[in-house]
Amino acid sequence: MAAPGRHIGHSMQRNGRFLLYNLEQLLGHRGFGWTSALRQQAAEANKESTESVIIPRKKTWSKEAVLEALASTVSRDHTAYPYQFQDDPYLSPRTSTEFKLFSLSQESGRSAAKFIINNNPKLFTKDFAEPHIPCLMPETVSLRLEEVSEEALKERITLRKVTAAVDMYDQLLQAGTTVSMETTHSLLDLICLYSDRDPVQDGEPQTDDAEFGAELKKRKARVRRASDFLKFTWKENNNAERIFNLLPERDTRCYSALIRGMVKHGAYAKAFSMYTDMLNNRLTADVHIFNALISAAPDVRDKFNERWDLIAELLNQMNQQKVRPNLLTFNSVLKSLRRCGFLAKTQALHTLNEMKALGIAPSLASYDHILAVFYKSAASAQNNTDILQEVIAELEGRIFTCQDPDDVLFFSSAMRIVSPALEPRLSLMAAFDSPRSVCLDSKDLELGYKIQSLVDVGENWRLLGDSFQQSIYYGRFFNLLCMMEHIDVVLKWYKQIIPSLYYPNPQGMRDLLQALDTDSRLDLLPSIWKDIKTLGHDNKPDLVEELLGLMAREKHSPEVQESFAACALDVKSVFDLRPSIEWSAASLSHITTLLLRANKTRQAWEMLQLFKSRNRVPSEGLLNNFLSVCHSDGDPQKAVELVQLSAAFCLPTTWRLAKRALAEFDLTEEQRAILSELETAGEPSD
Amino acid sequence: MYRIIFRTLVAPRSSSVNVYDSCVLAAKCDKTVFRVTNECGVKTFSTSSSSLCEKKNNQDQKTQAVKEGGQAEVVELREEPAVLKADDGGAAEQQTAVKTEQVASNQAAKTKNDAAKSGKESLLDLLGAMKVEVTNKRKLKNLKAKQSYESVTQYTPKAAPMESTISMYQKATGEASSQSETLDPDLVAAASAAASTLPNRSQAESELLRQLRQREAITEAQKKGDINNLGVIIADMKVGKNPNRQNAWPADQIRFDDDGRGYTHYRGITSELSGVRKRRNLLLGKRLNIFTPTADEDGIEPAAAKPTLWDIDFANQLSLSTNQMPRNGFEEMIQWTEEGKLWQYPINNEAGLEEEAKVPFHEHIFLEKHLEEGFPREGPVRHFMELVVTGLSRNPYLTVQQKKEHISWFRDYFHQKEEVLKEADVYLE
Repeated sequence: MAAPGRHIGHSMQRNGRFLLYNLEQLLGHRGFGWTSALRQQAAEANKESTESVIIPRKKTWSKEAVLEALASTVSRDHTAYPYQFQDDPYLSPRTSTEFKLFSLSQESGRSAAKFIINNNPKLFTKDFAEPHIPCLMPETVSLRLEEVSEEALKERITLRKVTAAVDMYDQLLQAGTTVSMETTHSLLDLICLYSDRDPVQDGEPQTDDAEFGAELKKRKARVRRASDFLKFTWKENNNAERIFNLLPERDTRCYSALIRGMVKHGAYAKAFSMYTDMLNNRLTADVHIFNALISAAPDVRDKFNERWDLIAELLNQMNQQKVRPNLLTFNSVLKSLRRCGFLAKTQALHTLNEMKALGIAPSLASYDHILAVFYKSAASAQNNTDILQEVIAELEGRIFTCQDPDDVLFFSSAMRIVSPALEPRLSLMAAFDSPRSVCLDSKDLELGYKIQSLVDVGENWRLLGDSFQQSIYYGRFFNLLCMMEHIDVVLKWYKQIIPSLYYPNPQGMRDLLQALDTDSRLDLLPSIWKDIKTLGHDNKPDLVEELLGLMAREKHSPEVQESFAACALDVKSVFDLRPSIEWSAASLSHITTLLLRANKTRQAWEMLQLFKSRNRVPSEGLLNNFLSVCHSDGDPQKAVELVQLSAAFCLPTTWRLAKRALAEFDLTEEQRAILSELETAGEPSD
Repeated sequence: MYRIIFRTLVAPRSSSVNVYDSCVLAAKCDKTVFRVTNECGVKTFSTSSSSLCEKKNNQDQKTQAVKEGGQAEVVELREEPAVLKADDGGAAEQQTAVKTEQVASNQAAKTKNDAAKSGKESLLDLLGAMKVEVTNKRKLKNLKAKQSYESVTQYTPKAAPMESTISMYQKATGEASSQSETLDPDLVAAASAAASTLPNRSQAESELLRQLRQREAITEAQKKGDINNLGVIIADMKVGKNPNRQNAWPADQIRFDDDGRGYTHYRGITSELSGVRKRRNLLLGKRLNIFTPTADEDGIEPAAAKPTLWDIDFANQLSLSTNQMPRNGFEEMIQWTEEGKLWQYPINNEAGLEEEAKVPFHEHIFLEKHLEEGFPREGPVRHFMELVVTGLSRNPYLTVQQKKEHISWFRDYFHQKEEVLKEADVYLE
């Protein structure tokens, strides 16, 4: 029997004590799955000795290992708000605006504190921490070296003071000092990276009062974002070019800095002429130059095939100059292919295969570009999700790290392909990819789930990107669910992702309402209303009207009607709270109808008064309904008042109401007189 | 043990597949070979799964027998355990003794016939038969079911490596085959009946017994004989085991083709074809053929250089584009650890004292050697300094350097005051 040997093997494995007295037996037993440790031990162990104890090697752990193991045991709590807000329950964001506001203020608070510490290092000299914690101490942000020297230049470069560094360089040249090549390289890098302009820095000395640091920073951030696109263009003959021309000898690094800077700041044609210049000087380019040039290729050629020819030529030159391409090379090829029209599809696949052949694993950005190439236009005949299926099948279960800034776009664009409709809010984002025709196919749903499960693998969720990207992704996913999935599943996801991951926009809530309608689970509407209120969408008249319309459309069982009426009253209280919002007549009459159905005549009557104060006119059907309720209540006085109210609205159908009231109610003489007057007054003359 | 299994399983007739499988495993446990294989043998893995198949078919046969026997199910089922009891004993015998002379003449003929067939063909036959067996079960039961089942039985060893396929097929057609699975407990009961005593009814019993024995014999024969075929089939089946493919779509229907692709899922002819074409484009298509994938060692050299401003900017861009927010307290602690704000785990109360750890303890404690020069050998000064050194040696808060500085301060001090001390006659050289 080999079984005992196996059991011993198990226990040995578990305890890490490898008593090998049963070794022969184990070896003879081929079915046993060796662990690597055991095999290793067995190789060196003397098989003859029966009583040898082998002490396992000491294992060293990284400093995060314990915490990582602990963190992996915590699963996401979908009833909780994001962790960063858990310090202060008062500041739990309930809407996306609040989320944005709170996270920005948290960040800006941190930056403000950092700013003050860095700019007043004299106030923060005490180092309490033992051992010393460098990141808590002020960093040097201001210049210390004042004399003209290469050291001072280096300091200016590390502190990223572009203009000061250029000045220092000029002074050094005037003094006749030669600057070392290394420093020149980093100076050129600095100037080209920031296009000869001082970068906006957190620790920059401010002329303004430090108290406004945070606010100022926010304003600056906005300016910076705009300026990234508009102001930071490459200027003709700027300092970088000037210094470059002054250099006695130029090597590849210098050209590299200039070409990269030119491409980054939009001087594409100049970058190419610089490249030609470099080739004329018999220098070979480095991989960064090629990456930059490839990404600039679509901007210097007009025709699709010319663009591709240029890219192919660059790649060939790379090969001739023995430059190894990297991931970013191919990602920029793929990105440029997005702008190569009809050529893109075949060449993109060839590029992907080239990557694989070279042993470069494509990143999510590569796949994102491929998807963009294949799902660009709705007009193309190939409107199915095969490519996406292939891509997802290839990616399934893999863990990704961010290798390209475009990696974070993959998930949302993959979800865009499967989600049936584009949200109007996002149409700006998707303006350049025209919406694909709605293709309802269960394949899409499956793919959607697969993409979602890919997000769940490992740390892939980090690649969803910032909160904006994340909300786009979840918005599309939720939209897909609402369209295709059964309402129970939709609600399950709804509970899971809202609001801990995603704050739906009004369109998302409307999708949910439609899903509820489709599966006739309208009885859930009151709870949805509560969520709408929490999410801050109760000030959207369209959405509220749609909700009320769904509630008022049909009659339901008394309990449901009761809850609907309570909900309607809640809506009404919101109306009262926000007098500035224009509510439509339809919303008001829906509320009234709901109240009437739940026999809340008094509140319904108040609603009718509200019509008047809001300058809205109730419909005839509503008044008829009201009259029927008065009849069933046996309240003739109310009926008379109702007809009078109708007359006050100058409704053309007042006479009909009056007639009906006269016929159906048991009235006093006085009431009868009023009604008959109204009847004759309103009745058409003919 | 078997009695217990038997009892528990006979009672719930309609137990699930899982129960069935596990019970089969349990039933097999008395055969040493199978115990080993089921639990740890990669090599013998195929055999165990083949046993599963066998059991299944066996059970199907029984189903058939039951149907033939009319509505007297209960009675029949009572019998079968007993039937199989004897059979099981026999089977075990065969397995341990490897070869027995039990092969009936007609079975021998079938074996020959089977050997003539190519492995792949038999595989197809087998799977075709199995599929038919499940989907059109009722129909076939009344027709030539017995024949086809026998053929299935014969090919089972070859089907062994296809365990994944079979399990998938079971999943897909789970509902259809539920009928056959209702009889699982009976099968297990039959296998375990070796230990129990039940009345036999001669006719059906002997028939089943003979069939089972024949099958066992053939199984053994083919296990010995068709290893080559088996290898071929395993090689073929590798394609079908692609996990992505397997989980990709629920298997509506399974098709077996001869060109080595294993099985494909039908999603309508056109979509299937286009899917295949695109798959080849994307995964196996042509490449640009610009670069040669040879030089792999050369690419490392730029990494050694100091990161340039561009690299720093790129890294910054990457970290900005991803979501770096911690999701729970532990992740926040990881961040703090990386920033150096937190004690490192596992907790070490000498963290941050790496410099100090290089100084051996005796440097801290035996400080007398620093009194060797610059101090008098005896007298009150010496006495005082010895006390100082004793105090220092017990002080854990000073570094060795600080202690030395402390001592040398006294050295300087006493040197300066040397005159005064000599006058007082307390400074003895």
